Formats: sequence, structure tokens, C-alpha cells
Amino acid sequence: MTLNTEQHSANRLKARSDLYQKMIEEIEDYAIILMDENGIIQNWNKGAQKIKGYTDQEIIGKHFSIFYLPEDLAVQLPQKLMEQARSNGKAGQEGWRKRKDGTRFWGSITITAIHDEEHNVIGYSKVTRDLTDKKVAEDELRMSEERYHQMIAEVQDYAIILLSPQGIIENWNIGAEKIKGYTAAEVIGKKFEMFYTPEDRAINLPDKLLARAKEEGKAVQEGWRVRKDGTRFWGTIVITALHGKDGRIIGFSKVTRDLTAQKLAEEKVNAYYAELELQNSELEQFAYVASHDLQEPLRKIQTFAELIQENYSDEEFVKRYFEKLESSAQRMAELVKSLLDYSRLSKDKEKDKDKSNLSEVDLNEIVDEVKQDFELLIEDKKAVIISEPLPTLSGNRMQLGQLFSNMVSNSLKFSKTNPIIRMSSTIVNKSQIPDAPDTLADKKYYQILFEDNGIGFEQQYDKIIFSLFQRLHGKQDYAGTGIGLALCKKIVDNHKGMITAVSEPDKGAKFYVYLPVNSN
Amino acid sequence: MEINELKHCLIIDDDTDDQEIFLMCLKKVSDNIDGKTANSGVDAIKMLNSDQAYIPDYIFLDVNMPKMNGIDCLKQLRSIDRLKNTKIFMYSTTSESAVVKQSKGLGANDFIKKPSKTKELKEKLSAIFNIVSKIDPTN
Repeated sequence: MTLNTEQHSANRLKARSDLYQKMIEEIEDYAIILMDENGIIQNWNKGAQKIKGYTDQEIIGKHFSIFYLPEDLAVQLPQKLMEQARSNGKAGQEGWRKRKDGTRFWGSITITAIHDEEHNVIGYSKVTRDLTDKKVAEDELRMSEERYHQMIAEVQDYAIILLSPQGIIENWNIGAEKIKGYTAAEVIGKKFEMFYTPEDRAINLPDKLLARAKEEGKAVQEGWRVRKDGTRFWGTIVITALHGKDGRIIGFSKVTRDLTAQKLAEEKVNAYYAELELQNSELEQFAYVASHDLQEPLRKIQTFAELIQENYSDEEFVKRYFEKLESSAQRMAELVKSLLDYSRLSKDKEKDKDKSNLSEVDLNEIVDEVKQDFELLIEDKKAVIISEPLPTLSGNRMQLGQLFSNMVSNSLKFSKTNPIIRMSSTIVNKSQIPDAPDTLADKKYYQILFEDNGIGFEQQYDKIIFSLFQRLHGKQDYAGTGIGLALCKKIVDNHKGMITAVSEPDKGAKFYVYLPVNSN
Repeated sequence: MEINELKHCLIIDDDTDDQEIFLMCLKKVSDNIDGKTANSGVDAIKMLNSDQAYIPDYIFLDVNMPKMNGIDCLKQLRSIDRLKNTKIFMYSTTSESAVVKQSKGLGANDFIKKPSKTKELKEKLSAIFNIVSKIDPTN
């Protein structure tokens, strides 16, 4: 290599180094600072001036800790970073720094140790980037997320739950705790189907709702749900599918509102409405049959009176028709009395609601009273009444008295010779009652059996006999208004029980009266 | 004017007083009427089934009767072929429009409300048999 070439090579090297120096000096977006091994600033580029606000003259020769906030200086952060760079080769940090004018900027800093050939640290380079805009945006986003999270966490009236795509509970707010009774620790990680009733779980309702939310975006449902303590609440639920950027389902939000109070109020209104409808139709039927059955004896009285007038001279005729007239009047009186008894039951029903009419009634006492009332008829018919020990139960004493009186009277009436009436009682479950309707509560009942050896009836009439004014026999064959058994049915209904009958013509009749063991 | 040939009437009523009054009025309207009674719809059907030669010209049918009521009885009567020319009159204490409509729909010729005066019944029967009452109209 000639001197000339050496010179040329040295020139090229110098030119490259100058270019390199120039490049660093001109970079505007990064502050690039050269420091000696003690952290004293030796060099400084345009970017540094732009970011930190000092001129070359102001800063060269100063310690780099000039950029640090008092709180960072107090914990000796500059020294620590330099120490770290010395031992590890470099140190990185993000934090607030101070400009010349006192304002702050968020800097991302890398300090790198510079070594000589013997590997001694002879200085440091410090590259700082101003990320204030990014930092502010990030902070705002984070705060907004925090506020949002807090908002959900503290909503009290709605249970807001985050579910995984598999329906695992991932998040839980105060509203959820309040409505469902579980704390977050008790439910997070469990499947959300734990809030569903066994009936709904049996038909896979939780999975079906998730599937619907997956398919249609959301699933809305109202139904009974179960709290931690086992009680139920009426929830209105919206499950919404949550999608990632690629459109895949990343989970579900489930918002539940407890509308139990509204639901119960609604059910109460519906029950009142149904009750009112029933009463209305009963009243209509009552008015129709009452007017028919009351008009009948009245019409006959008028006819008989007319005939008596026309045949006044015929003594025999007059005598016979006066008897008929009297028996029609008698029948009318009976009808009016029975109708009053029947309508009084509806009034009693109102009082029974506040339980003011209810007391512990010993049915054995009732039977004794009925026997006394029918003493003459029993003697006359040579009837035998056998009653096995009967229970004491909560009920309306007057009504239960009427029930037993009507049952015994019915058996005495529809008998031939030497009537035998037997009363007995056992306890049965609802499931043991034949043809028990759904409306009958699932509990224990006293089954009180009234059994007679009378004329009986064809089984096909087992329902009609309990209807108002329905009779199975001509008025001339058997006296009666057709109200007695209807009254019994109403009394049993009032006591939330039921009455059935089993019979065959000439084989006697069995009447089964079911009354709740526990009236609550 | 009198009825020329004997007319057969069947009265189906569980109330024997009403049967008696009805027969009494029939007799007053014409001597040429044969009145039979049945105490129930069941008895009437039994009677018609056992005596196939018996074809009543008129049937008076009470509505409210035990077991088989007048409406059910009417259905059965209208299913008996030999009674196709028999006029059937429903006969009841009350004449509720729904029941009147139902019975006419099931083939009843008319609905008569049981009157409280026998004079009214006699007039009704005279009109049905298309005769002028033989009796003194004041009676």
C-alpha cells in the first residue's frame, strides 16, 4: 500500500465518520446523547434539543440527571440506570422526564455503555424517544376501561356476567351477587347453568340459550332461576354473543334482572281475574237455575189457585189441590232457604281468606250434633249411624257441620229400609286420590268416607250429582231441591279439598271427602 | 169444529202435577185426543222402543228433567225414524233464548213456556190442533 493510498483510505474513513456524526446530529425524533463515564453530557443532537428544549451550550458539561423529576432523583434513578448499563451493557426504562421549561414528557430511554479496547467503560450513549402522545392515549384508554369495568362491577340492579364461549363464569358484579346470592369467589370458573332450575336443566335450557345467542347474536328469556339459598326468583335474561376482530365468538355477556316482585304481582292479578271469572260464571248459572227452579213452584201455586177457583163446588178436588198448593209453597220455602245457604258460602269464602272463620274442628263432635239433629228421622227410618274415630282439623266449623249434615241427610233420603250409614277416616297422599286434578295441592289429605246401603246411582252421574239443581230422581219419588250435594262440593272446595262418589244402582253409595291434613 | 180422527199425544215430564194439569187441559180441548204420559226421557224412550206400533202425533217434552234432560231426549226422539212426522214441542217453566234456539236446531217444532193459567194452555193447545175450543171460552 502506498502512502497515497493510505492517505486516500484515511480520508475516506474520516469522510464516513463525519457523515455518521452528521446523521446522528440531524435525527430529530430521537434524543441521542453522548455521556462520559460519570454521566456528564458530551454531545447532543437535534432530536435532543427538540425533545428536551436545551441548546448545546446550555447542556454540554451538565449531568444527565438534569432531565429527571425530583421523585426519581430521590430514589437515585439516574445512578441506578447508569449502574445497570455499566454491568449489563445497557439499561432501558420508560418514565416521565422534565424539559427545560419544566413541562413533562414520557420518555422511552435506552442507556448503552461504551467500552475501550480493554473493555473499560469510557462513556454512555443515551437514546430517548418522546412517547408522550402514545402514553396519554394509552392512559386515557386504560382509565376509560377502568371506569367501564367499575361501572359494570357496581351496577346493583342487574346481574352482569361475562361467560367464556363454553359458558364458564369469568366475571361477576355486585348486582349478580345481590340477585343470586353468591360471591364472585364462589362462582367464577363454574358453569352458568348452576342458576337454572332442575326442570330447565333437564331440557338443556342453558345450552339452548347459548346456542341461540351464538346463532342470532342474542337470546332473550324469562323464567324462574335459583338463588344460592335455593329460593327462586323470576329473571328476565339477555345473553349476547361477544365477537373477536376475526368474527369468532370470544364469550357471552349475560344480563339478568330480578322481576320477581312484578311477576308475583302479575300472577296475583291473574289469579284474581280467574277467580272473578269463575264467580261471574257461577253467578250466571246460579241466576239462571235459581230463577227457573223458583218460578216452577210459583207457577204451580198460581195454576192450583186458578183450578181451585174454577172447581170450588167440588170439595174433593178443592181439598186435593189445596194440598198440592201447600206442598208447592213448602217447596218454594225450602228452595229459598237452600239458596241462601248456598250463597252464604260465597260470602264465607271471603272471610276464610283472612282465616277469621277457621278453627280446630273436632269432626266427632260434628257427627254427634248431626245425630241429634236427625234423631227423629233416624228413629223413624230405623237408621243406624256408625262413625269410627274422626280427626280434628282446621276448618270452618259451621260449613263442616253443614257438610256432615247434608251427607247424612242425603244417605237417609235415598235409602229404602233400615239405612246403615258408616263414616270413617284415613290419611292419603294426593297421588292416592283417583282423578285428583292438577289444581289440588300436592300434600296429605284426610279421606273421610261416607258409606250407605241406599238406592245408589249409575256411576255415569258421579259428576252431575254435585251440580246445582241437578237431580237424578223425579220430585215425586224423592224430596229435595238439588242443592244439597252442590253445597257439599262448595264446602269441600272452600277447604281446598275434593269430593268424589262411587256407586251402582241398589248397591249403596260411597262418598269420599278429601280435606287437607294441614290447611296451610 | 172438532178433530175428526183420534190424535195421539205423549207428555214427557218428571213433574206429575204438570202431567195432570196438561191431561186435564187436553180433555177440555177435545175428546178425540189420546194422552199418554212418561215420567222421564228414559221412560219415554223405553216406552217407544217396546211398543213399535205406537206413533204419537204430538210430543210435549219438558226440558229440565233428572238424568236425561229434554234436549238429550229430543236428540234421541229425532233419531227414531217412525217419529219423523211427529210434532215435538218443548215444554218448560222458563224459555231461555239459548235453549229455545238449541232445541229448534235439534228438530223441535216449537217451544212452549208452561203458563200459570190453564186458560192460556188450552188456547195454545187449540191453536196447535187447529181447532176452535169446544168449551166455553170463559171457562
